[in-house]
Amino acid sequence: MKKFVSLIATALIAVGLPLAAQAQENPKTIRIAFSSAGVGGKPAAASGLLATAHQRGILEKEFAKDGIKVEWTFFVGAGPATNEALALKKIDFATQGDLPLVVARANGLRTRILLTDSRFSRNYVVVPTASTIQTLEDLRGKKITVQKGTAGQLTLNRLLTQVGLKESDLKVIDMISDSQKAALSTGDVDAAIQSSTDLVVRGLVRRIYKIEDPKLQAPSQVWVAEEFEAKYPHIVQRFVTALLRESVWAVDEKNRDELFRLWSKTGNPYSDYKEDFKGWALRDRLNPLIDEYYTSSLNKSIAEVKQFRFVRRDVTADGWIEPKYQQAALKELKLEGFWDEFDADGKRKKPAGK
Amino acid sequence: MSTIQSLDKPLVIEPLASLLPRISIPSLGNLPARFGRIGLGIIFPLLLLYLWQIATERVWLPPQLLPEPAFVWETLVDMVSSGELAGHLAVSLQRVLWSVLIGGSIGLAIGFAMGLSKTAKAYLYPSFSLFSQFPVIAWSPLMIIFFGIDEALKISTITVAVIVPFAVATYKGIENVPVKLREVGQIYQFSFAQTLWRIALPAALPAILGGVRQGAMQAWLALVFVELLASSEGLGYLLVYARNLMQLDVVMVCMATIGLVGLIFDFALGFIERHFSRWAPKGR
Repeated sequence: MKKFVSLIATALIAVGLPLAAQAQENPKTIRIAFSSAGVGGKPAAASGLLATAHQRGILEKEFAKDGIKVEWTFFVGAGPATNEALALKKIDFATQGDLPLVVARANGLRTRILLTDSRFSRNYVVVPTASTIQTLEDLRGKKITVQKGTAGQLTLNRLLTQVGLKESDLKVIDMISDSQKAALSTGDVDAAIQSSTDLVVRGLVRRIYKIEDPKLQAPSQVWVAEEFEAKYPHIVQRFVTALLRESVWAVDEKNRDELFRLWSKTGNPYSDYKEDFKGWALRDRLNPLIDEYYTSSLNKSIAEVKQFRFVRRDVTADGWIEPKYQQAALKELKLEGFWDEFDADGKRKKPAGK
Repeated sequence: MSTIQSLDKPLVIEPLASLLPRISIPSLGNLPARFGRIGLGIIFPLLLLYLWQIATERVWLPPQLLPEPAFVWETLVDMVSSGELAGHLAVSLQRVLWSVLIGGSIGLAIGFAMGLSKTAKAYLYPSFSLFSQFPVIAWSPLMIIFFGIDEALKISTITVAVIVPFAVATYKGIENVPVKLREVGQIYQFSFAQTLWRIALPAALPAILGGVRQGAMQAWLALVFVELLASSEGLGYLLVYARNLMQLDVVMVCMATIGLVGLIFDFALGFIERHFSRWAPKGR
């Protein structure tokens, strides 16, 4: 008898679940956040897939037919500000660098990672032109500025470790990107990590180190709040599919100039992006895959965040990445194999047989 | 019933009124005596602590933004035993010490000048009144331009906050030196130095110490603001940094430390002030 009841119950659930899934509810708005803002706080972002979708209004188009509004937020306070907003349940999707991402998880904020937003970015350690600093070792005892709690701080720690230094061997001052540029120009700080070209062109700073090694920097990612995903999985799917469809446009080399022009709406010069992407195929930089490079990079970041004592609680990546939306989208858009996978060292994986 | 009675016959109120204080005042009056004012003062913080505990248990705010008391305590113990807290506190205290020394000297000089010399007062007072109107925050943009973002910025900004209370207290203290004492000085034909050392200073000391206390408090408050600006160490810095890493427990430990140190300052300086007030001349 018991068996019979449970059988019926199972059958009911089996029938009922798809029915429930059909009667899907839609959210009124989708709230998306960038852990960055343009120059002077301009509401614009750059260098990634989500930023491109924002500039081209792709998601608005996707959701307009259901009357779902898309809201964008740009945090000058970067990743840490995104985390506060997430804790207050004010955002559903966001892009973020690795340090705030791991900090959030360590503090019990629940997200699911959907795709890579951008990878292999270039950065430079810059010093005022007149400075005597020539190498990373020379940074000892000097004042360097970084936006604390952002991926930049983790990158700085990795760099310092390379030359046997720690943060405490330097004076590390917290500044947002705009202030960093101002402080570099006036010589108020001795160094910063910057990718922008304008200070270089104006002869105000000199680059002493190129950060290009994929192990020094982690890719940025797009995540969805776990609560939102549980409630509206179909919206998450449409979000990911729309983004990947857009990615095909974004990585088309024909659109390279247009892409950089869109990004320069942040107030950063077009030349920044042109130089940053020089020698790179768009398809490799704007690679949304959750491949071996991504997962190993995430695990490395988790270990380093603990090692550098940015968090005190343990963090696990179990159940954090949710690749199913991406896989379904790739299948639907017939984009399987469109992007190359990269291995843990950031090297291209050669497909078998080629 | 009783209200009607009391309304009709005012006489009825009298026993009631005399009853009430007999019940309430003795018990309330004994409590401060037994536990001291601290005992009563601790009730409100305890209630707050209880509210905090309830708030975290029932998750009125996300735990990421409001960590539970036990966790904050753990953090406090951690930060004390690792010496981290002491390190930042030392940096902050050093900044305050320098500022109080520099700002205090300037404030004393201005105060003495204005108090002792009518000419000096005529020259200085208008400018000084204007100067004392600006809050520390209003100074910070100018200070950054003049002093950069280093220690000089922090110390000079806090110094500005210290000068005004020192100068005002000193000036008032000297102005209020009893005329009789000054006359005695004149009779003995005291020199300027003697007037200053034997009459003005001792008579004005309690007031000056009041200024020291106020100045030190101002310095402490300004410090936290200044350290938020651009620093790599100190309590104010730690506060912002911890917020960036979502370590609200550390933020709370910092706030508690800032509050406690401020309290200790106030208490210690208040004690010294009272000690010297004992032999202060009372007559005018």
